[in-house]
Amino acid sequence: MADAIKLEIVTPSRMLFSDSVEMVVIPGSEGEFGVLPRHAPTLANLQRGALNVYNNGTVTRRFLIEGGVADVLPERVIVLAERAVDLDAVSTQNLDEQLVNATEAEAAFVNAAKEAV
Amino acid sequence: MANLKDLKTRINSVKSTQKITSAMKMVAAAKLRRAQESAEANRPYSFRMQQVISGLASKAIKATAPELLIGREIVQTHLLIVVSADKGLCGGFNGSIARQTRLEIKRLEKEGKSVLLYMIGKKAADNLRRDIKDKIFGRVENLQGSDLDYNKVDTVSQEILTGFNDIYFDQVSIIYNQFVNAITQNVVSKPLIPVQLNDDKEDTGASNYEYEPDENELLEQLLPRNITTQIYSALLESFAAELAARMTAMDNATRNAGDMIDSLTLVYNRTRQANITKELIEIISGAEAL
Repeated sequence: MADAIKLEIVTPSRMLFSDSVEMVVIPGSEGEFGVLPRHAPTLANLQRGALNVYNNGTVTRRFLIEGGVADVLPERVIVLAERAVDLDAVSTQNLDEQLVNATEAEAAFVNAAKEAV
Repeated sequence: MANLKDLKTRINSVKSTQKITSAMKMVAAAKLRRAQESAEANRPYSFRMQQVISGLASKAIKATAPELLIGREIVQTHLLIVVSADKGLCGGFNGSIARQTRLEIKRLEKEGKSVLLYMIGKKAADNLRRDIKDKIFGRVENLQGSDLDYNKVDTVSQEILTGFNDIYFDQVSIIYNQFVNAITQNVVSKPLIPVQLNDDKEDTGASNYEYEPDENELLEQLLPRNITTQIYSALLESFAAELAARMTAMDNATRNAGDMIDSLTLVYNRTRQANITKELIEIISGAEAL
């Protein structure tokens, strides 16, 4: 089995994801970048975008994240995101419910998530 | 001697009070579990955030570092964010926040700074009303429990950041009850601006980090977020602590009501017995007189 890197996605309200993965593509503010095991230590600002988790060469999990920072070390990645949704676990209906009493910033994010689902 | 009817009414009223306090205790205990979980769920985020900031701060060039990190040279005004509950009946919870706030105000004024306050929650604001009426910078209520979400806290921290940038104040700290466990809450006062750095930790290999974009720009993005995160986590902690305090207070109240019912019942029974005895004596002595 190929090397794996530990990925944690943390939001203010909970730990969204914590597992070993083969590769993760992160939407940095200076452009998307992929992280493989033994990546150089990096601290990157994030922008709204899709975060894709790869296992065995294909995308296995997709998240939409917004705002925050990614802390990359050779053996682990921690993504601190202000908002995040698991695109495989939500439906458009769920997101519509969230829209009901959302603030402007949140609504923009939820709408983007709806498009991505 | 107290009359029987009054005693009976008294006992009944204490009984219904006891029902209320024990119900409140139960409700607080049920809510506490959820609040505690969310406070604990937030800890990884705020902890990591703090770590990242400390790491970055040690690299940042002092001369060009943002004011949010290193603070201003001349400090004239200090903003205290005071977090209390919207509701009472939770023992010393709000009182200890108010007391701590008074102490802080006194301390800061002794240092020659003027003080502004941002009140979160209703009770401390009511309690301190007389001391603070000319010091209020902002005030919010209904920011706890299910009403608490990150976006609302973000609005509060935007307000504070704008105030800081417009030089209404030069330093910010937050006073809140920290949840330790179900019977202990600590009042803590934590500085937000400038950032408190924990430099006791050895950051391993952090010196060869790559930054994207560069350190200062990253810091400028992260520091405002850090403020929101810290306030948010303080609010979560405070809510859990409030419920814990209420649970303990209501538990005591229920027990006290029980004691009171016992002693009132004793008096009631004695009085009743005394009345019977008195009536018997009257009948007997009446019969003897015949």
